[in-house]
Amino acid sequence: MASEQLWSQVAEKWQTSFNRLNRNEPGITGLLTFSEAWVLARDFLRPRDIDEPSPKSTVNRQQLRAAFDNLAQRRMLTALLEEFLEDMRWQLPHITKDIEGLMKQYEATSDPIFIAGCISRLVLWHKAWAPFPELGPTVVNAFTNTFQTHVFSVLPRSFSHGFKSLVSATLNPEYATEPPVWITTLFPQSGPPPDRWDKPLWQAFEQLGMTERYESLIASVCYEHVEAHMIETYSKVWDRECLSEARDWMSQHILPWLLMPYAPNAKTVEEAAPFISGIGTRLDYHVCKTLADLRTREIFDIIVDFPDSRPALDDLKKCILRVDHRSTLVKTLRKENAHRLLHPGADTKMILQQYVSIIKCLRIIDPQGVLLFKVADPIRRYLRERPDTIRCVVASLVADHESGDSLVDENDTVQPLQQAQVDDYSDLNWEPEPQDAGPDFRTNKPSDIISTLVSIYDSQDLFIKELQVLLAQRLLAIKDGNFDRERRNIEVLKIRFGEAQLQVCEVMLRDMTDSRRTDQHIQSQKNNDTTQLHPTIISRHFWPSLQTNTFTMPGQFKTIQDAYQKEFKTFKPDKKLVWMSHLGTISLDIELDDRTVSADVPPLEAAIIELFSQKDIWTIDELIETIGSIERPAAVKALGTWIELGVIKEEDANTFRLLQVADAAASSKTTQRPQAMAVEDEVPIVTAQQQQAEQMKVFWKFIEGMLRNLGSLPVDRIQQMLKFAPGYDRSVEQLGQFMEAAKREGLVSVKDGMWKLS
Amino acid sequence: MKVKVKNWHAIAQWRWDTGTSSDTHDADDEGDVCGICRVPYEGCCPSCKMPGDDCPLIWGECTHIFHMHCLLKWIGTAASKQQCPMDRRPWVTAERKINN
Amino acid sequence: MSTRRLQKELLELKNEGAPAGIQLLKGDDFQSWILSIEVLGESLYKGDKFALEFRFDSQYPIAPPSVTFVVNEQFQAPEHPHVYSNGHICASILANEWSPVLTVSAVCITLQSMLASCKRKERPPDNDRYVARAPADPRRTRWAFHDDDV
Repeated sequence: MASEQLWSQVAEKWQTSFNRLNRNEPGITGLLTFSEAWVLARDFLRPRDIDEPSPKSTVNRQQLRAAFDNLAQRRMLTALLEEFLEDMRWQLPHITKDIEGLMKQYEATSDPIFIAGCISRLVLWHKAWAPFPELGPTVVNAFTNTFQTHVFSVLPRSFSHGFKSLVSATLNPEYATEPPVWITTLFPQSGPPPDRWDKPLWQAFEQLGMTERYESLIASVCYEHVEAHMIETYSKVWDRECLSEARDWMSQHILPWLLMPYAPNAKTVEEAAPFISGIGTRLDYHVCKTLADLRTREIFDIIVDFPDSRPALDDLKKCILRVDHRSTLVKTLRKENAHRLLHPGADTKMILQQYVSIIKCLRIIDPQGVLLFKVADPIRRYLRERPDTIRCVVASLVADHESGDSLVDENDTVQPLQQAQVDDYSDLNWEPEPQDAGPDFRTNKPSDIISTLVSIYDSQDLFIKELQVLLAQRLLAIKDGNFDRERRNIEVLKIRFGEAQLQVCEVMLRDMTDSRRTDQHIQSQKNNDTTQLHPTIISRHFWPSLQTNTFTMPGQFKTIQDAYQKEFKTFKPDKKLVWMSHLGTISLDIELDDRTVSADVPPLEAAIIELFSQKDIWTIDELIETIGSIERPAAVKALGTWIELGVIKEEDANTFRLLQVADAAASSKTTQRPQAMAVEDEVPIVTAQQQQAEQMKVFWKFIEGMLRNLGSLPVDRIQQMLKFAPGYDRSVEQLGQFMEAAKREGLVSVKDGMWKLS
Repeated sequence: MKVKVKNWHAIAQWRWDTGTSSDTHDADDEGDVCGICRVPYEGCCPSCKMPGDDCPLIWGECTHIFHMHCLLKWIGTAASKQQCPMDRRPWVTAERKINN
Repeated sequence: MSTRRLQKELLELKNEGAPAGIQLLKGDDFQSWILSIEVLGESLYKGDKFALEFRFDSQYPIAPPSVTFVVNEQFQAPEHPHVYSNGHICASILANEWSPVLTVSAVCITLQSMLASCKRKERPPDNDRYVARAPADPRRTRWAFHDDDV
């Protein structure tokens, strides 16, 4: 039997509850009204299967309101809510069945229409079961949570994929003009048609909480769409600024779309601003990044196309400011250069031109020069290895701007070559180095193109030497005594390199002037023998080494020379002339029986044909003996010229006959040798680099002997020992480079710094 | 057959007429040098920039030859005692005869 | 003026080597060079090694270089009637018989033969007195040359 205590407790509880529910109304009226209200509310809230015809009674909102107030007074709302949720759970399997059915169809067809269908059904369920918002946020939130939790737990994995393609569909520009049929069937709208066809869909998403849950998917759809559009539209489009175009496109096409998921309730753009500023910034970043990536992939060709591709570079510059892309750009360009530029198949001139373009382009993108510094290094090292780099740069230093040799603009003002710039701390505009600058950055910053090119080599000496060689070649080729152009070039170069360095060139030019004056004087002496001869007289130590091997001119040529020498001695008693017979050009007419052949030829060929005027038939050996000091190949080549002109012909081996009368067979080849050909024979000057190469061949013999006798040696030892070799004046670094080259040739190998013969 | 020369653009080096080995047409070797500055005769002395008439040679009766500027620098010192640096004979400048 | 000429002398020393018994020890600037000198063959100084210091001014070769024997932990001045214990040398070619066509090599060879032909190892008679009052630069000394001088 229950105790007294228990009885009284239960009685107390019963009384409390009764009071609560009855609320001091007479009798049990309170209870009755409560009971009615409870039934009404529960019935109203009860989730039903929407496919079954609804016996829903029309419920008066006021009544409902009153019922809820009733329950609220009695603090029974929580209980009501619990009951409601329990009911809901019983009904959820309906939804599950719906979803499964539709999703199976989607999985079979991959048609997003089924996803839309799914959404549409869910909306219906939601609408059917959702309590009025007047019931208060607690109820509404509880419902929403339960509904969404269930739905999301039931949706299969394939849903995300489908959702994504559905969202992508909303971006499809075709739909903008002609919306898909299902939008109206699945999402019927009452009232005026919405301003965007996909608005109902988004509203559905919002309602179902999908916008929030799948936010990252939606964002990624947007990113991908933007990226695809940009790549399609802006690939290889370098002649206009694409960044601003892209941004315009974004605000026209993407921004309105963005309002759907992110600011569905905003009526104006201003209202929407706070909601979309986050995603907007991220998208702008993505635009910049996509464009930066695209242009970076294309950078090599953009540089080739410069200056036509200038707008693309401006774009890239702006993008890089927003996206920290610098190291990618550097890496990519370095790789491209290594692959497409710095290989044996590329012309040195082409590499230099591309290098100059790279300088200009990277300076646009990064005026401070950090990027250039990192990219240029491998190019410079490679150029240093090429034997004709100096010649190319020097040729451009003195080039005619029209001839296309020049690597620089006419408009670049000529300045002295700039030395490394030290930080000037009193400079008010001083800025710290960029973060990614290398350690040598500041010390290595010449600013104009020529200085940059010259600084590829540590010293200017090599340039000066090459310059001298080039100048000498040009001057010696001048036949009309007009060397104004060279003089102008030297004046320009004096500004760049300084007067002292170019003293030798001054002497060369002075020689030209003096030659002209001397010749004028001698011609005015009216010695008949000298009228045709107009020599350029040079000061031997101030011109580059000219290849030797001079022979004596025969016949009338000797007469002419001797006459000139005599006049010269009268003019300058202390001096005499030493003829360099292998240089120069002679313009002559050969008068034969039936024709006259004109030619401009080097002196050797003139000498040979002169001999044929003494005797009709010569053998090669006779010719060589008579002229003396000539190599057989040179003689053969000289004879070849006359054969080609149909003046002589080879009868038997090595025997040649003069053709007093034109030979029909030979004449098929006769054409006037164009003047240009003789001129193109460059003066055979041994260039500074060639000289060095020759010398190193000699030293190689020493090194070979050393290594053979002493086994393996470190480079310092080799250097020490080479110092005993006559004429050896290289530094240990130069020796190191030479050894590396020898290693590449397979002549030596190195291990732990010890070199030995292979 | 006749070869008619219309124009001959030749290249020649000028040399001082020292009456020595540079008569041989050897464009290769350096040539003789001035004993005082050790620069070849056809180059210029250390104080000059241009060779040739601007920096001529001076011939002594003792047959020794120097850059004029080099020798005059020497002769200008008391220590030289006006002697030829090679043989210490009193320096007398030779009269230049025109060689034909 | 001196630079060019010294450059050429240096090049020649390096390329063609110094004369026998002579070695370039220090030649890295154009102010002061040091060469070692040994007397070859039979002589009083057989097996000895001495060092000569050449100092040049801008008037070289018109003005003679200052030439002295190096005196330090490593080298001593040879005992010779014309060589003082402070390294100063009494030789006419370094003073009144200097000629601009002489070179560092030539001077070394001359001094080499001066040592080789020496009959007796001894200091100059006025060695102590001279050394006490000698100027740093031997070119400022007013040398008196004897008949048997080189």
